[in-house]
Amino acid sequence: MAAVLNKKKSKVSDEVPTSSMADIAFLLLIFFLVTTTFPKDKGLSIVLPEPGVEAEVSQRNILHIIVQVSGVVTVKRGESQQEQQYRPSEIEGLWRQEVTANPNMIAAVKTHPDAPYKYMMDVLDALHAANAERISLQVLEEN
Amino acid sequence: MAIKGGGFQKNSKVSSEVPSSSLADIAFLLLIFFMVTTVFQNDRQIPIEWPEVQSAQKIDEKQKNILNIWMERDGSVTINDQAYTMEQATTVVAPLYAASERALVISIRADREVPYRFMDQLQSALVAAGVVRVVFAATLEQSLQRERR
Repeated sequence: MAAVLNKKKSKVSDEVPTSSMADIAFLLLIFFLVTTTFPKDKGLSIVLPEPGVEAEVSQRNILHIIVQVSGVVTVKRGESQQEQQYRPSEIEGLWRQEVTANPNMIAAVKTHPDAPYKYMMDVLDALHAANAERISLQVLEEN
Repeated sequence: MAIKGGGFQKNSKVSSEVPSSSLADIAFLLLIFFMVTTVFQNDRQIPIEWPEVQSAQKIDEKQKNILNIWMERDGSVTINDQAYTMEQATTVVAPLYAASERALVISIRADREVPYRFMDQLQSALVAAGVVRVVFAATLEQSLQRERR
């Protein structure tokens, strides 16, 4: 009997208040709308030469980086015919050495026409990691 | 002696408020409807395996100034969802580049196995179109995943 008596006197509603639920939901919705950012595309940027402009560069300032079909990288200093083989990951350290020795150095990346693009990207990645700015992309002339 | 509300108020059982309890339901229904029917324009059926690089940087340009050029393994070129041949690339890109007042950034989205000869041809086509800023799109390689070489 006591329970019945209490019920009659109670003025507190037995429902969960739902009137503000929509406000809360919209607040959350707007919060996420505002804070969402779409992922930006990533990549390695490069500046292409202007058409018709050909710069004369002394052979002394060119580091020939030749990307073979197998992904092996052959490095040839400007005037010498000496060739050295590297892995793409070793290019970063090599470039840092070269650039401290000669700040005017230009990296001429020559890729074999049949070499997959990813090997060129590995080399370009290493050059970017070494903060190289003067990069020239070429295709290896087939003899 | 004026009767309050013309004497009707006491008898009227119709609420004077606009019913707002179903407003949220309607709004959510609309929201879910648009969520389900929205299709993103990006990423058509061009199967690309991205090259992975460690020093990838975000393309710092507005979305409308980025032109994506897709390059598949067989050397086929897709610009703005239309397939072109390599020779057409210059004539397609040049007017777009001029229209953007030379602000256009070309994002080359090439498969990692594309033979480099196609990339070279595409670069030559872009140089002929006068394009200066080019980005080789790639995904970021996590250095922990990279095998120690």
